[in-house]
Amino acid sequence: MDEEDPKEYRWETGYEKTWEAIKEDDDGFLEASIADIIQRAKRKRQNKKEYGTKLGMMRHLYVVLDCSESMSSQDLKPTRFMCTLKLLEGFMDEFFDQNPISQIGVIIMHNKRAEKILDLAGNARKHIKLLKSLNKTSLVGEPSLQNGLEMALRSLKLLPTHASREILIIMGSLTTCDPSDINTTIESLKTDGVRCSVIGLAAEVHICKVLADKTGGVYNIILDDSHFKDLLYQQIDPPPAALGLESSLIKMGFPHQMSVEGTEEPLTMCMCHVDSADEASKLTTGGYYCPQCYSKYCELPVECRACGLTLVSAPHLARSYHHLFPAASYQEVVYEKQSEICFGCQKQFNEVDKQIFECLNCGNYFCIDCDIFVHDTLHTCPGCATNPSTFQITQTG
Amino acid sequence: MNNLELPTEKTAEFSSVDESSLVVIIFDSNPGQKLLRENPHLLTHCLDSIISFSNSHLMQKSQNKLAVMACHSRKSDFIYPGPGKPLDIRQVDGQYETFTLVEKTIKQNLAKHLAGESAMLNTESLLAGAIAMALCYISRLQRTKSPAFTLNSRILVVTGSSDSASQYMNYMNVFFTAQKQNVVIDVCALDQHLSLLQQGCDITGGLYLRLPQLQGLLQYLLWVFLPEPPIRQKLVLPPPVKVDYRAACFCHREMIDIGYVCSVCLSIFCKFSPICTTCHTVFKIPALAVKSKKKKIKL
Repeated sequence: MDEEDPKEYRWETGYEKTWEAIKEDDDGFLEASIADIIQRAKRKRQNKKEYGTKLGMMRHLYVVLDCSESMSSQDLKPTRFMCTLKLLEGFMDEFFDQNPISQIGVIIMHNKRAEKILDLAGNARKHIKLLKSLNKTSLVGEPSLQNGLEMALRSLKLLPTHASREILIIMGSLTTCDPSDINTTIESLKTDGVRCSVIGLAAEVHICKVLADKTGGVYNIILDDSHFKDLLYQQIDPPPAALGLESSLIKMGFPHQMSVEGTEEPLTMCMCHVDSADEASKLTTGGYYCPQCYSKYCELPVECRACGLTLVSAPHLARSYHHLFPAASYQEVVYEKQSEICFGCQKQFNEVDKQIFECLNCGNYFCIDCDIFVHDTLHTCPGCATNPSTFQITQTG
Repeated sequence: MNNLELPTEKTAEFSSVDESSLVVIIFDSNPGQKLLRENPHLLTHCLDSIISFSNSHLMQKSQNKLAVMACHSRKSDFIYPGPGKPLDIRQVDGQYETFTLVEKTIKQNLAKHLAGESAMLNTESLLAGAIAMALCYISRLQRTKSPAFTLNSRILVVTGSSDSASQYMNYMNVFFTAQKQNVVIDVCALDQHLSLLQQGCDITGGLYLRLPQLQGLLQYLLWVFLPEPPIRQKLVLPPPVKVDYRAACFCHREMIDIGYVCSVCLSIFCKFSPICTTCHTVFKIPALAVKSKKKKIKL
């Protein structure tokens, strides 16, 4: 919220001599300078992350998808809609990987109506199956932003106060057809602490900008499909907690298999498939039993259908820890033969490596690729983790 | 002479063959572990088994790659391929030069590594850190290989020390990363049962084996861990053990079935307490929490 968007138009900014950023080296080659630009671009993303803020960990996100006529436009290949679905598939997978105890719901807007096609749920497979079936949706009429927001709000309002509420709107249309004043909807979203982010596929629309600004979200317009992917994946990291977010202790169950040494488990049906038509529940052994009511589930995490207890396993919670305890950030230093090889991947440093990275906790040196790998994927500094005095320290400050 | 050193320079050679496998062996040679404190000569036995295993792996396919790491309580090192240039090896007794190279390099570097160990022994080996290094190494090989070429990587941990909860977060981070990168983690426990590493095997689809007897180490390695993961389904291997994924509460370190989780820092407690001991958040009183819970069920 505090980053007041200095989004000027391109023609309002100063005159940039972009070609001067590229400099020839002594032999007249450009590689070194281009490598430098690539390096800087790689690192830019990580540096933006801020640490030490309270995060909304239990996220409840509604993806509001525009299914109007404008989504059939072919400026993204093959069409805007197909491209969006394809990217969303990857997004869902990654989202649940990084936020295992969060939930996503899907709402589509077409023909001036909003339709909830998936309630908040925490299972990536269900979402991806749904997205695959969505490509047959007819893209008709105009979207109604207000109807979409109202529908998401109705469901998000009922959530307990510790839940982080978010809406992500993917908007292809430049117009919205609303039944009443959308500003009142925006106000109520704001009072309920719902963070609304918008990704525009066409051009900037004033009302979307107002919506994102007022509710603390971000509003971005895509440049092309890879930029679209970047913007979408930015939503994966948990946002800072909303102001009204209360904290509480949540009762959770940690199921385990019911096995007694030496005996076979009884054949039982699981609760997750009990009423689904296409994948009927089968009698199986094994599975996870709710410790409160002993209903069986074949997958975790899930909310028990019988008693409402949230069932998770310890690694699910551990998967989210890296948002809270990130690896120590590295400092860029000029390479002056401090170390022969990168501590992580054992690569030999040579003249191409102008900058190397030093971990301030353990004092080891890393190459740029390891720096990115450690902070984007691994979340553990290999140097700190192999040193008895530092292996329990994470982010400093 | 040596086509298993680094793929960066040698990718052209592989263009005709499109698949190979990399094994990173993490050998816990920490002299402080119980097993080696009681019988120091076991180190030689284990090392010989590991070298034979490495050679068998390299023998299976000429493109197969190998890395061996030694893990201690203070530092972990790659002992094969070691830093610097590979040793200059001539053929001895008609043995394939690569095998001689592997054996000599491993022994030489391990000796260097052990000599650097201080007299103060620490019983805890930092295995999570060694796995993290191995993952960095694997990710570099994956980055630099030619796109037409598939490299199946796995990590084999051979250890006699125990796993401690103090490395929990590091372990979990490396397991999830390995899962994401399709790296299989196999664990061969020489002495104690390792519950955390067993979880890692389960998460990444690897095998966990606690040796019934140490004498047969090489045989177990060759039977259980040498076949690649796709082939393993066709073999009769020790049955997978059920892994206990219950959580331990932060207050008493006891395994619990139903617990309370802090919504801010995800700490787990066995009883309701008004303040989180980890992040010092003050919670709402439980009566309200129960009420909102009910509302949610009604939905």
